[in-house]
Amino acid sequence: MKFNKKRILITGGTRGLGKAMALAFAHAGAWVAVSYATDEESARKTGEELQDIAHSSLVIRADVSSQTAVTDMIDGIIKKWQQIDVLVNNAGIIRDKLLMFLDENDWNRVIDTNLKGTYLCSRAVMKPMIARRAGRIINVTSPSAITGRAGQTNYAASKGGIISFTKSLSREISRFGITVNALCPGVITTAMTESLDTEQRKGLLQMIPMGRFGTPEEVAAAVLFIASDEAAYMTGQTLTVDGGLT
Amino acid sequence: MKEIVSDGTQLCEYLKGMVIDTLKLEDITKKEIENDAPLFGDGLGLDSIDALELVVAIEKAFDVVIEDENVGKTAFASIETLATFIQEMYKDKS
Repeated sequence: MKFNKKRILITGGTRGLGKAMALAFAHAGAWVAVSYATDEESARKTGEELQDIAHSSLVIRADVSSQTAVTDMIDGIIKKWQQIDVLVNNAGIIRDKLLMFLDENDWNRVIDTNLKGTYLCSRAVMKPMIARRAGRIINVTSPSAITGRAGQTNYAASKGGIISFTKSLSREISRFGITVNALCPGVITTAMTESLDTEQRKGLLQMIPMGRFGTPEEVAAAVLFIASDEAAYMTGQTLTVDGGLT
Repeated sequence: MKEIVSDGTQLCEYLKGMVIDTLKLEDITKKEIENDAPLFGDGLGLDSIDALELVVAIEKAFDVVIEDENVGKTAFASIETLATFIQEMYKDKS
């Protein structure tokens, strides 16, 4: 199997795209750890699914915006598994509001979870990866980072920051055989898109040349490629999977 | 490791070996590294990213932590300063 015994950590991996990635890695032979912030029910269900597929799996509650929580999470995984081969910084939140009404708390929460979380988790896995001269760091960004979107100044800023962070970090550690790339999924069929009304769906679909939303499996396939040996020469890049949206 | 750390000369030689092995400096021998020569810039020509790998190796070998960039810069100025830093860290530990 392609990822046989590779240790993968996916933050925010108990729901939506993160879960699809986790299951895809598990099916490919990987040991999979997923983190979650608050949704215990989804965490429990995903944990059960992973246990059925993966040789080894971990479900960890951790607020990625907290240095202590991230350190505990990474240290805990390294203690159990001795290494982390792939980190997917997927944990992210949205607090959409037009800037005029966007208070400091909504700004800070999104920046702290999405961007600071990426920084904290990447920093925590760096040393073990440098010691092994191997690793993959994959940061999930968004089309909002590229085109902007009204109501998402905070979200777009966090995801745009992730692209710049990715490029800069790749210039620091690629020489150690660690690739650092971003993944940019477009509008993907998830619980959120299922709840859109007809007009909203129509409006979104008109912006997508391919005329449909993407599937979580299509995004997971892209993540598995970036994490694979075949992508060993790809670093500092953003792989966009959006049906032509951007 | 305690024995090596307690002997400054032995420690310097050990650290030279670590620098050569960790950074794969195939064309350099321990004899060619002066204890007080700068490790970075004009000395061995190492850059700040080479320092990352050295930090990881030193932390692992001696069970120390180099959290602060300024502490790192001072410690990694030369083999001698690095040896002093490690000896100080060991003193604090005991």
